[in-house]
Amino acid sequence: MKYILMMNTMKAGHGVPAWPKKDLQAHIGFMMSINKELHGRGELVSAEGLAFPDQAKLIRADKDGQPVTDGIFPESKEFLAGFWIIDVDSPQRAYEIAATVSAAPGPGGAPLNMPIEVRQVMSGPPPDML
Amino acid sequence: MKYILLMSGTRAGVEAYHAWPKQDINAHMAVLHGINQDLAASGEFVATQGLSGPKEAKVVRGEKNGLPVTDGIFPESKEFLLGYWIVDVANAERAYAIAGRISAVSLNMPIEVRQFATHEAKS
Repeated sequence: MKYILMMNTMKAGHGVPAWPKKDLQAHIGFMMSINKELHGRGELVSAEGLAFPDQAKLIRADKDGQPVTDGIFPESKEFLAGFWIIDVDSPQRAYEIAATVSAAPGPGGAPLNMPIEVRQVMSGPPPDML
Repeated sequence: MKYILLMSGTRAGVEAYHAWPKQDINAHMAVLHGINQDLAASGEFVATQGLSGPKEAKVVRGEKNGLPVTDGIFPESKEFLLGYWIVDVANAERAYAIAGRISAVSLNMPIEVRQFATHEAKS
């Protein structure tokens, strides 16, 4: 069963670079060790961090099908900061991994306990729609 | 340059889509499938996935002892990720063009385009 674990952030709340350097290093080191561990267990499909929200663009097609870019997002919007795609035996295992990621160290090494959205990845469209 | 194109929608939007006539859903899926094939042919395709519906979404936090706490309650207005495409393209404009094509066949839905933070990940 494939799951995606999504770490979201508010536009105003992406204050990661303002942490002391050693706290940032501890945070990144923690994330890297989780990825290594998941890879070792054969559960990691992919993990990526995304560029900050100030570079995000919203695209719509106009009448001619041409892209129209719009970088304006509501202040309250949540942005995807990064994600993990994992292949695990049960939803419980996905939640367990999400909790580990949630507890990544923040400033002063205290666990962040940030919310992680867990969604199953579909292997294809629902059969009743084909 | 790798980009992720994110298609999001609300619970109401997902329910409206599920109520489309089957032939319209099939036609929509076929066009998206064609876009994937074009991207594969141009060497720009990395991955695409659809996600299961918002009903099954959970939010997890670690407790003090690191055990998972799940919570399935989301505000009605929350946007859920419906699916994504990861593309490897020469520039941002090309990523926008692909997003525009997907938008055009999906009710002109807005598609969020985000670059991968490759430099930060490697530092």
